[in-house]
Amino acid sequence: MLINIKLTSISFLLLISISLYAQGPPIFTDSPLLLGLEGGGIRTFGKYISTESGQTYIQPLVVPYNVTTDFQIGGIQAYVFRNPDNGESQSGFGNFTLFGKYSIIQIDGRAKTFRALLKYTQTFTTGASNVSVNANASQFSIVTGYVTINYGIYGTIGYTFVSNDLPDNLIYNFAFGYPLLPQKYPPFQLNLFLELNGTHTLDLDQHLLFVSPGLQLMTSSTFLIETGVQIPVVDDRNTTKFAYTLGIRFLFF
Amino acid sequence: MKTVIKMILIIFLLGISSTLAQSSEVKVRVDGLSCPFCAYGLEKKFNDLNGVESINIDFEEGLVVLQVTDSENISEEEIRTKIEEAGFTPREIVFSRKNEKPDKDE
Repeated sequence: MLINIKLTSISFLLLISISLYAQGPPIFTDSPLLLGLEGGGIRTFGKYISTESGQTYIQPLVVPYNVTTDFQIGGIQAYVFRNPDNGESQSGFGNFTLFGKYSIIQIDGRAKTFRALLKYTQTFTTGASNVSVNANASQFSIVTGYVTINYGIYGTIGYTFVSNDLPDNLIYNFAFGYPLLPQKYPPFQLNLFLELNGTHTLDLDQHLLFVSPGLQLMTSSTFLIETGVQIPVVDDRNTTKFAYTLGIRFLFF
Repeated sequence: MKTVIKMILIIFLLGISSTLAQSSEVKVRVDGLSCPFCAYGLEKKFNDLNGVESINIDFEEGLVVLQVTDSENISEEEIRTKIEEAGFTPREIVFSRKNEKPDKDE
Protein backbone atom coordinates (compact mmCIF):
# COMPACT_ATOMS: atom_id res chain seq x y z
CA MET A 1 0.00 0.00 0.00
CA LEU A 2 2.81 2.37 0.98
CA ILE A 3 4.69 1.49 -2.21
CA ASN A 4 1.58 2.23 -4.25
CA ILE A 5 1.14 5.64 -2.61
CA LYS A 6 4.80 6.52 -3.24
CA LEU A 7 4.58 5.44 -6.87
CA THR A 8 1.34 7.37 -7.33
CA SER A 9 2.67 10.56 -5.74
CA ILE A 10 5.89 10.48 -7.82
CA SER A 11 3.81 10.00 -10.96
CA PHE A 12 1.61 12.88 -9.81
CA LEU A 13 4.61 15.21 -9.43
CA LEU A 14 5.90 14.21 -12.84
CA LEU A 15 2.46 14.62 -14.37
CA ILE A 16 2.32 18.13 -12.94
CA SER A 17 5.62 18.79 -14.69
CA ILE A 18 4.16 17.25 -17.84
CA SER A 19 1.31 19.70 -17.64
CA LEU A 20 3.89 22.42 -18.01
CA TYR A 21 4.97 20.83 -21.24
CA ALA A 22 2.98 22.74 -23.75
CA GLN A 23 4.61 24.72 -26.46
CA GLY A 24 8.13 25.63 -27.44
CA PRO A 25 11.53 24.15 -27.64
CA PRO A 26 12.41 23.05 -24.06
CA ILE A 27 11.62 19.41 -23.38
CA PHE A 28 10.71 19.55 -19.68
CA THR A 29 10.30 23.28 -19.11
CA ASP A 30 7.50 25.46 -20.38
CA SER A 31 7.96 28.15 -23.01
CA PRO A 32 6.40 31.63 -23.07
CA LEU A 33 6.21 31.60 -26.88
CA LEU A 34 2.63 31.21 -28.10
CA LEU A 35 3.68 31.18 -31.73
CA GLY A 36 2.72 29.12 -34.69
CA LEU A 37 -0.01 27.19 -32.95
CA GLU A 38 -3.18 29.04 -33.74
CA GLY A 39 -4.78 25.85 -34.93
CA GLY A 40 -5.01 22.54 -33.13
CA GLY A 41 -1.73 20.85 -32.42
CA ILE A 42 -1.45 17.36 -31.06
CA ARG A 43 1.57 16.19 -29.12
CA THR A 44 2.34 12.98 -27.41
CA PHE A 45 5.30 11.42 -25.72
CA GLY A 46 6.13 8.46 -23.59
CA LYS A 47 7.65 8.91 -20.16
CA TYR A 48 9.23 5.97 -18.38
CA ILE A 49 9.83 6.51 -14.66
CA SER A 50 11.96 4.12 -12.70
CA THR A 51 11.66 4.25 -8.91
CA GLU A 52 12.80 2.16 -5.95
CA SER A 53 9.32 0.66 -5.76
CA GLY A 54 8.57 -0.04 -9.41
CA GLN A 55 8.17 1.43 -12.86
CA THR A 56 5.61 3.75 -14.37
CA TYR A 57 4.98 4.55 -18.03
CA ILE A 58 2.93 7.63 -18.87
CA GLN A 59 1.61 8.45 -22.32
CA PRO A 60 0.00 11.91 -22.38
CA LEU A 61 -1.85 13.57 -25.21
CA VAL A 62 -1.57 17.36 -25.22
CA VAL A 63 -3.89 19.53 -27.30
CA PRO A 64 -3.30 23.30 -27.16
CA TYR A 65 -5.38 25.92 -28.95
CA ASN A 66 -4.56 29.59 -29.43
CA VAL A 67 -7.73 31.58 -28.80
CA THR A 68 -5.90 34.80 -29.64
CA THR A 69 -2.26 35.71 -30.18
CA ASP A 70 -1.92 36.26 -26.43
CA PHE A 71 -4.20 33.60 -25.02
CA GLN A 72 -3.93 29.84 -25.23
CA ILE A 73 -5.99 27.07 -23.69
CA GLY A 74 -5.39 23.36 -23.77
CA GLY A 75 -6.10 19.95 -22.36
CA ILE A 76 -3.95 17.03 -21.30
CA GLN A 77 -5.04 13.45 -20.92
CA ALA A 78 -2.56 10.76 -19.98
CA TYR A 79 -2.76 6.99 -19.96
CA VAL A 80 -0.75 5.45 -17.16
CA PHE A 81 0.78 1.98 -16.86
CA ARG A 82 2.14 1.05 -13.45
CA ASN A 83 4.24 -1.93 -12.59
CA PRO A 84 5.06 -2.09 -8.86
CA ASP A 85 7.82 -4.46 -7.78
CA ASN A 86 5.56 -5.94 -5.12
CA GLY A 87 2.15 -6.06 -6.66
CA GLU A 88 0.15 -6.49 -9.81
CA SER A 89 0.50 -4.25 -12.84
CA GLN A 90 -2.18 -1.61 -13.21
CA SER A 91 -3.20 0.75 -15.95
CA GLY A 92 -5.83 3.34 -16.69
CA PHE A 93 -6.48 6.94 -17.61
CA GLY A 94 -4.81 9.53 -15.42
CA ASN A 95 -6.42 12.72 -14.21
CA PHE A 96 -7.54 15.21 -16.84
CA THR A 97 -5.82 18.61 -16.90
CA LEU A 98 -6.90 21.92 -18.39
CA PHE A 99 -4.54 24.83 -18.76
CA GLY A 100 -4.67 28.45 -19.85
CA LYS A 101 -1.80 30.78 -20.72
CA TYR A 102 -1.95 34.51 -21.06
CA SER A 103 0.96 36.51 -22.43
CA ILE A 104 1.83 39.56 -20.33
CA ILE A 105 5.18 40.72 -21.71
CA GLN A 106 6.51 40.71 -25.26
CA ILE A 107 9.70 42.59 -26.07
CA ASP A 108 10.90 41.79 -29.57
CA GLY A 109 14.22 42.69 -31.15
CA ARG A 110 16.05 41.63 -34.27
CA ALA A 111 16.46 37.84 -34.04
CA LYS A 112 15.59 37.82 -30.35
CA THR A 113 12.62 38.08 -28.04
CA PHE A 114 11.82 38.24 -24.34
CA ARG A 115 8.41 37.03 -23.30
CA ALA A 116 6.53 36.22 -20.13
CA LEU A 117 3.13 34.75 -19.46
CA LEU A 118 0.85 33.71 -16.65
CA LYS A 119 -0.29 30.13 -16.61
CA TYR A 120 -3.10 28.42 -14.76
CA THR A 121 -3.38 24.66 -14.67
CA GLN A 122 -6.29 22.73 -13.20
CA THR A 123 -6.14 18.98 -12.70
CA PHE A 124 -9.37 17.10 -12.05
CA THR A 125 -9.85 13.76 -10.33
CA THR A 126 -11.16 12.00 -13.39
CA GLY A 127 -8.53 9.27 -13.55
CA ALA A 128 -8.68 5.65 -12.52
CA SER A 129 -8.16 5.39 -8.76
CA ASN A 130 -5.41 2.78 -9.03
CA VAL A 131 -3.12 4.99 -11.14
CA SER A 132 -4.17 8.53 -10.21
CA VAL A 133 -3.98 10.75 -7.14
CA ASN A 134 -7.42 11.34 -5.70
CA ALA A 135 -6.97 15.10 -5.42
CA ASN A 136 -7.62 18.18 -7.48
CA ALA A 137 -4.63 20.41 -8.13
CA SER A 138 -4.56 24.08 -9.10
CA GLN A 139 -1.28 25.49 -10.25
CA PHE A 140 -0.38 29.13 -10.84
CA SER A 141 2.89 29.85 -12.57
CA ILE A 142 4.92 32.51 -14.31
CA VAL A 143 6.73 31.42 -17.43
CA THR A 144 9.53 33.50 -18.92
CA GLY A 145 12.01 33.12 -21.72
CA TYR A 146 14.71 34.96 -23.60
CA VAL A 147 15.19 33.42 -27.00
CA THR A 148 17.71 34.39 -29.66
CA ILE A 149 18.78 32.52 -32.77
CA ASN A 150 21.93 31.48 -30.89
CA TYR A 151 20.44 30.19 -27.64
CA GLY A 152 17.35 30.16 -25.46
CA ILE A 153 16.95 30.61 -21.71
CA TYR A 154 13.66 29.64 -20.11
CA GLY A 155 12.41 29.79 -16.53
CA THR A 156 9.23 28.87 -14.69
CA ILE A 157 8.17 29.26 -11.12
CA GLY A 158 4.83 28.11 -9.80
CA TYR A 159 2.76 27.05 -6.84
CA THR A 160 0.40 24.09 -6.76
CA PHE A 161 -2.56 23.92 -4.38
CA VAL A 162 -3.57 20.32 -3.78
CA SER A 163 -6.90 19.26 -2.26
CA ASN A 164 -7.76 16.40 0.14
CA ASP A 165 -5.20 17.46 2.76
CA LEU A 166 -2.32 16.54 0.49
CA PRO A 167 0.65 18.92 0.68
CA ASP A 168 0.98 21.83 -1.73
CA ASN A 169 4.15 22.16 -3.71
CA LEU A 170 6.39 24.77 -5.23
CA ILE A 171 7.79 24.09 -8.67
CA TYR A 172 10.67 25.70 -10.51
CA ASN A 173 12.14 24.92 -13.90
CA PHE A 174 15.09 26.30 -15.79
CA ALA A 175 16.22 25.43 -19.30
CA PHE A 176 19.12 26.37 -21.54
CA GLY A 177 18.80 25.48 -25.20
CA TYR A 178 21.53 25.56 -27.81
CA PRO A 179 20.99 24.90 -31.53
CA LEU A 180 23.66 22.59 -32.94
CA LEU A 181 22.83 23.43 -36.57
CA PRO A 182 22.51 26.83 -38.29
CA GLN A 183 19.04 28.33 -37.94
CA LYS A 184 17.23 28.36 -41.26
CA TYR A 185 13.74 28.16 -42.63
CA PRO A 186 12.11 25.76 -43.37
CA PRO A 187 13.72 24.35 -40.25
CA PHE A 188 16.04 21.42 -39.95
CA GLN A 189 17.26 21.77 -36.41
CA LEU A 190 19.10 19.77 -33.82
CA ASN A 191 18.79 21.37 -30.40
CA LEU A 192 20.64 20.52 -27.22
CA PHE A 193 18.97 21.24 -23.87
CA LEU A 194 20.12 21.24 -20.31
CA GLU A 195 17.32 21.70 -17.81
CA LEU A 196 16.74 21.78 -14.07
CA ASN A 197 13.30 20.71 -12.86
CA GLY A 198 12.57 21.08 -9.17
CA THR A 199 9.66 20.48 -6.84
CA HIS A 200 9.51 21.35 -3.17
CA THR A 201 6.69 19.64 -1.29
CA LEU A 202 5.55 21.88 1.52
CA ASP A 203 4.50 20.51 4.91
CA LEU A 204 6.65 17.44 4.29
CA ASP A 205 9.60 19.72 3.50
CA GLN A 206 10.80 17.34 0.80
CA HIS A 207 12.75 18.36 -2.24
CA LEU A 208 13.08 16.73 -5.63
CA LEU A 209 15.44 18.18 -8.21
CA PHE A 210 16.20 16.69 -11.60
CA VAL A 211 19.01 17.53 -13.95
CA SER A 212 17.54 16.93 -17.38
CA PRO A 213 19.68 16.84 -20.51
CA GLY A 214 17.86 16.39 -23.81
CA LEU A 215 18.07 16.42 -27.59
CA GLN A 216 15.48 17.63 -30.06
CA LEU A 217 15.42 16.98 -33.80
CA MET A 218 13.16 19.13 -35.92
CA THR A 219 12.77 17.85 -39.45
CA SER A 220 10.13 20.24 -40.75
CA SER A 221 7.89 23.10 -39.70
CA THR A 222 5.33 20.72 -38.29
CA PHE A 223 7.21 17.75 -36.86
CA LEU A 224 9.84 17.17 -34.24
CA ILE A 225 11.12 14.30 -32.18
CA GLU A 226 12.76 14.77 -28.82
CA THR A 227 14.27 12.77 -26.05
CA GLY A 228 15.59 13.48 -22.59
CA VAL A 229 16.47 11.89 -19.31
CA GLN A 230 15.74 13.28 -15.84
CA ILE A 231 18.29 12.32 -13.22
CA PRO A 232 17.52 13.19 -9.58
CA VAL A 233 20.32 15.12 -7.90
CA VAL A 234 18.24 15.92 -4.83
CA ASP A 235 15.61 13.43 -3.75
CA ASP A 236 14.59 13.65 -0.11
CA ARG A 237 12.24 10.71 -0.53
CA ASN A 238 15.07 8.69 -2.05
CA THR A 239 12.67 6.96 -4.40
CA THR A 240 13.23 8.10 -7.99
CA LYS A 241 16.03 6.48 -9.98
CA PHE A 242 15.46 8.29 -13.27
CA ALA A 243 12.81 9.25 -15.80
CA TYR A 244 13.21 8.86 -19.54
CA THR A 245 11.15 10.68 -22.15
CA LEU A 246 10.78 10.08 -25.87
CA GLY A 247 8.23 12.15 -27.69
CA ILE A 248 6.96 13.77 -30.83
CA ARG A 249 5.12 16.97 -31.55
CA PHE A 250 3.02 17.10 -34.65
CA LEU A 251 1.17 20.28 -35.43
CA PHE A 252 -2.05 20.26 -37.41
CA PHE A 253 -2.76 23.56 -39.08
CA MET B 1 7.38 33.29 -94.39
CA LYS B 2 3.99 33.99 -92.79
CA THR B 3 4.61 31.20 -90.31
CA VAL B 4 7.95 32.72 -89.31
CA ILE B 5 6.33 36.13 -88.79
CA LYS B 6 3.55 34.55 -86.71
CA MET B 7 6.14 32.76 -84.57
CA ILE B 8 8.08 36.00 -84.02
CA LEU B 9 4.85 37.80 -83.06
CA ILE B 10 3.86 35.06 -80.60
CA ILE B 11 7.29 35.12 -78.96
CA PHE B 12 7.15 38.93 -78.77
CA LEU B 13 3.68 38.90 -77.17
CA LEU B 14 4.68 36.20 -74.71
CA GLY B 15 7.67 38.30 -73.73
CA ILE B 16 5.47 41.34 -73.13
CA SER B 17 2.94 39.38 -71.07
CA SER B 18 5.60 37.79 -68.90
CA THR B 19 7.13 41.23 -68.31
CA LEU B 20 3.74 42.59 -67.26
CA ALA B 21 3.16 39.63 -64.94
CA GLN B 22 6.62 39.71 -63.38
CA SER B 23 6.97 39.31 -59.65
CA SER B 24 7.31 42.13 -57.24
CA GLU B 25 9.24 41.86 -54.03
CA VAL B 26 8.25 42.98 -50.56
CA LYS B 27 10.94 43.06 -47.90
CA VAL B 28 9.60 43.02 -44.38
CA ARG B 29 11.65 43.50 -41.25
CA VAL B 30 10.15 41.44 -38.41
CA ASP B 31 11.31 41.61 -34.79
CA GLY B 32 11.02 38.60 -32.51
CA LEU B 33 11.94 36.03 -35.15
CA SER B 34 14.17 33.94 -32.96
CA CYS B 35 13.25 30.33 -33.66
CA PRO B 36 12.53 28.69 -37.03
CA PHE B 37 9.84 26.50 -35.48
CA CYS B 38 7.91 29.60 -34.44
CA ALA B 39 8.04 31.09 -37.93
CA TYR B 40 5.57 28.64 -39.40
CA GLY B 41 2.65 30.72 -38.15
CA LEU B 42 4.10 33.74 -39.91
CA GLU B 43 4.44 31.84 -43.18
CA LYS B 44 0.86 30.67 -42.85
CA LYS B 45 -0.40 34.20 -42.26
CA PHE B 46 1.50 35.55 -45.27
CA ASN B 47 0.12 32.76 -47.43
CA ASP B 48 -3.35 34.16 -46.68
CA LEU B 49 -2.44 37.35 -48.54
CA ASN B 50 -3.43 37.63 -52.20
CA GLY B 51 -0.71 37.01 -54.73
CA VAL B 52 2.07 35.75 -52.44
CA GLU B 53 4.14 33.32 -54.50
CA SER B 54 6.98 32.52 -52.15
CA ILE B 55 8.35 33.45 -48.74
CA ASN B 56 11.98 33.51 -47.69
CA ILE B 57 13.05 34.10 -44.11
CA ASP B 58 16.50 35.29 -43.04
CA PHE B 59 16.74 34.80 -39.29
CA GLU B 60 20.10 36.57 -38.85
CA GLU B 61 18.64 39.77 -40.30
CA GLY B 62 15.08 39.28 -39.09
CA LEU B 63 14.03 39.75 -42.70
CA VAL B 64 11.13 38.21 -44.59
CA VAL B 65 11.11 38.52 -48.37
CA LEU B 66 7.81 37.99 -50.14
CA GLN B 67 7.65 37.36 -53.88
CA VAL B 68 4.24 38.58 -55.02
CA THR B 69 2.50 38.66 -58.37
CA ASP B 70 1.55 42.28 -57.92
CA SER B 71 2.51 44.30 -54.87
CA GLU B 72 -0.37 46.71 -55.54
CA ASN B 73 -2.75 44.00 -54.31
CA ILE B 74 -1.14 44.03 -50.88
CA SER B 75 -1.15 46.96 -48.52
CA GLU B 76 1.38 47.72 -45.84
CA GLU B 77 -1.43 47.65 -43.29
CA GLU B 78 -2.40 44.11 -44.29
CA ILE B 79 1.19 42.96 -43.88
CA ARG B 80 1.52 44.59 -40.46
CA THR B 81 -1.75 43.00 -39.31
CA LYS B 82 -0.63 39.55 -40.42
CA ILE B 83 2.69 39.88 -38.58
CA GLU B 84 0.95 40.95 -35.38
CA GLU B 85 -1.59 38.14 -35.71
CA ALA B 86 1.31 35.70 -35.97
CA GLY B 87 2.72 37.04 -32.70
CA PHE B 88 5.66 39.12 -33.98
CA THR B 89 6.46 42.81 -34.22
CA PRO B 90 6.47 44.46 -37.67
CA ARG B 91 9.16 47.00 -38.59
CA GLU B 92 10.16 48.45 -41.97
CA ILE B 93 8.34 47.32 -45.09
CA VAL B 94 9.87 47.95 -48.52
CA PHE B 95 7.99 47.39 -51.78
CA SER B 96 9.96 47.03 -54.98
CA ARG B 97 9.44 45.96 -58.56
CA LYS B 98 11.91 44.88 -61.17
CA ASN B 99 13.65 47.87 -62.79
CA GLU B 100 12.36 50.10 -60.02
CA LYS B 101 14.13 51.57 -57.07
CA PRO B 102 12.78 50.27 -53.75
CA ASP B 103 9.83 52.24 -52.47
CA LYS B 104 10.33 52.48 -48.73
CA ASP B 105 7.02 52.98 -46.97
CA GLU B 106 8.48 53.48 -43.53
